[in-house]
Amino acid sequence: MLREEELKTFVDGTTQYFEVAAQQPATIGSPYLLEGEPAMHDYTGIISVSGKREGVVYFTAPRAMLTVLLMKMQENDFSHESMRDLVGEVANTISGNARRDFGHDFVISVPSVLTGDKPDIPHKPGARSFVIPINWRSHSAKLVVSLT
Amino acid sequence: MQLPGADRSRRLLAAGAAAAVVTVMALVLIAGFRLATQIRSSLGVLQATSALQTYPAVIAQQLAALRGQLDTLEYTGHVHAELGATIHKFNQALAVIERRRGLDPAAMRRVGRLWRAYRPLLAPVLAFSAEPYDDTDTGSSLSAAGRAYDAQVRRAQLFAQEHARELHGRLAALAAELQARTAAAAARLRTLLLAGVLTVLGLAAAALYLQIARTRHERAAREAQEQTRDILKTVREGFFLLDADYRIGAVWSEALTRLFGRNDFAGLAFEELLRDRVSAETLATAVKYIRLLWGERARENLMKSINPLGQLEVSMDNGRGGRESRYLQFDFHRVMGPKGVKHVLCAVGDITSNVLLARELQEAQENAHSQLDMMVGMLHADPLQVSTFLDSASAGLKHVNTILKEPARTDAEFRKKLAGLSRELHSIKGEASALNLMSIAQRVHHLEDMVGELKGKSELTGNDFLPVVLKLDELLAHLRGVREMTARLVTLKDGSPEPGATMSVPQLRVVPAEQSGAPSALERPARGGGELATMLQQLAAKLAQDHGKRITLTLSGLGEVPDAYLATIKDCVIQMLRNAAVHGIEPSEARRATAKPEAGEVRVDFHRSEKGYELLFQDDGAGLSPEALKQAAVRKNILTGEEAAALDNRAALALIFRPGFSTREEVSMDAGRGVGMDVVARAVYALGGKIGVSTNPGRFTRFKIALPEASQAPAVA
Repeated sequence: MLREEELKTFVDGTTQYFEVAAQQPATIGSPYLLEGEPAMHDYTGIISVSGKREGVVYFTAPRAMLTVLLMKMQENDFSHESMRDLVGEVANTISGNARRDFGHDFVISVPSVLTGDKPDIPHKPGARSFVIPINWRSHSAKLVVSLT
Repeated sequence: MQLPGADRSRRLLAAGAAAAVVTVMALVLIAGFRLATQIRSSLGVLQATSALQTYPAVIAQQLAALRGQLDTLEYTGHVHAELGATIHKFNQALAVIERRRGLDPAAMRRVGRLWRAYRPLLAPVLAFSAEPYDDTDTGSSLSAAGRAYDAQVRRAQLFAQEHARELHGRLAALAAELQARTAAAAARLRTLLLAGVLTVLGLAAAALYLQIARTRHERAAREAQEQTRDILKTVREGFFLLDADYRIGAVWSEALTRLFGRNDFAGLAFEELLRDRVSAETLATAVKYIRLLWGERARENLMKSINPLGQLEVSMDNGRGGRESRYLQFDFHRVMGPKGVKHVLCAVGDITSNVLLARELQEAQENAHSQLDMMVGMLHADPLQVSTFLDSASAGLKHVNTILKEPARTDAEFRKKLAGLSRELHSIKGEASALNLMSIAQRVHHLEDMVGELKGKSELTGNDFLPVVLKLDELLAHLRGVREMTARLVTLKDGSPEPGATMSVPQLRVVPAEQSGAPSALERPARGGGELATMLQQLAAKLAQDHGKRITLTLSGLGEVPDAYLATIKDCVIQMLRNAAVHGIEPSEARRATAKPEAGEVRVDFHRSEKGYELLFQDDGAGLSPEALKQAAVRKNILTGEEAAALDNRAALALIFRPGFSTREEVSMDAGRGVGMDVVARAVYALGGKIGVSTNPGRFTRFKIALPEASQAPAVA
């Protein structure tokens, strides 16, 4: 069973990114269990986890949210590539936080980025998926932790 | 280990030996010097005495020679001069021995007297300076002066003949005495030197022995120190000593460095060691405990039993920039000195893996117990009933998840979820209890507790719901396990062991109902009223046992319940039955005191009515007190005092259908959360029905539920 501290590590990694990159903290919405297919946004940064736990953790955000985030970061490039880089960075921060807290217990892959609302997420059979809405300004993204 | 006391005495011994060597050598040298001086002086006197004893004979010979020369008229000048020189030497030598003290005084006096008698006779002889001869043509002859000179020589010669031997003898005796004394002094000197040398040799041997012993001891001490260092380097616990100021001593084991990630322990206050790693409250308790250890009267065993640091959770740097929780065990032992507690030896061990292992073991044991309880519970339950419950519970938990899924950003939006969550969970728990599936009931109860705690928080955020969703996941996993177990039991009971049999029981999945086709709590397949009656009887028996009461349940007309109402009627009766068992029916003693039958009676009657159906639920318990209900409402901040006072009895009774209302102060598995009658009322309203309550305090409580025709009931989402 996933422990609360583990879940919090991923959540904190995500909210901290907003605080550091945009000087405006994100809050989390009401968490729930994923039912059926995940509702994906436009851009998804994903890391694979193996070792003590197995599965994936991903951050999926709508283009509008990423655009405002880039603006807050004083960026002028709102291209597709720029959006991809941004969710990749969020995934990278989540990964760094997890490495810091879990050390060698977790083997975490280099982040990869998926686009589109129906990307192929490599779900681990038997893994329960926790969805944590990430609210920032008026926008909402999702952090999905799907680990055995 | 080094013993400072023994070392000090050895050092003192060595210093004493060295001082003794120096002292003995100094004494020997002083005494030897004095003896040598004495011998040297004695040798001088001896030499003088030896010379002196020869002079009387020499003087006598020289006097005789003078006489002879005067007789033969020879020249006397040479002999006269020699005589003078001899007498002069005699005087000198005599003066030397006279200065010498300690010689035989009688002998010295005699020698002095003889010489003083002899010297006047010799003086005129020496004083003669005239020509002793008269030379004439006929030859030479003694002159008058020469004759007088000759007479003086003869007188002196006569004295010499009489006393020279005695004088010689006396002087020889003196010389012999001196010689004997000098020999004795030399012997003493020899003895002294020998004794000195022997003493010095002895002391040197002792010093050498002590030095060897000291070297050996130092080597042993060095080895002991090395061993101590090796122990401190290798031991897995952190060891250190605390002094009377609660500060760490100068020596500690290397494990302490690894445990705390620092190396500046010398003089560090114990409080500082734990600061920022434990809560302020824990830190204060730890410091108080350390102070107690210094109390003379505190018994070590007692102190050990109240050690608050036996399993201390501390927050540590994990070496990768983050922090992690670890469990440390502190053991304290007092080191006693002659004046009481000298130090406190502290041993710190990292017991994180032990604690986690014990926790896992306990969880595994609890799981095993709950599975066993579940098995026992299910052996007595109808598998179909259990399976239906699992469907209903899984639909209920799906609804819980749906409530959680509703977007929320503000405290009000989060708070809005709580009532719905409580209702749903309470309902599931009621059914689980009714089927005696206690492992599920307890888990749901725990989840209810979590939701209850959230109600008390001042500002709710999404973070507060993380443990709830995790617990929900755990509950779903447990339900899956129960479902598998039910399938196995079905297989066992049917005697059909083929594995495919387990597939016949619907699997629990949290997927949308429309996708899964799984029936919801209100849409499940119809079951007979007989089955419901059995279940209610079992629940009544269990509630009576749990609450130490006697209950007789009389059921009628349950076979008439339309399928569409079966689930709601069941949920409502379960809740009302629980309320009756907890609040209504009095304990047997109280019932005896009011002349009631010992067993409380609960009647449930379902029948058709003019407009549809009617359920009557009545217990002959204590009834409801409108005043008590009002007071409870004020206590729970549902009403103000004024509002409560304004309520008539009918409105006061209606309070029990308010969300969050309960007259019970403590929460138990069966009552106290204030969601029971709220659930019943909502379920009845959802079917388009009505619910009413009437009571006669001390006599009965009666609930009347009116339901429309089944076909007219609104569709349930």
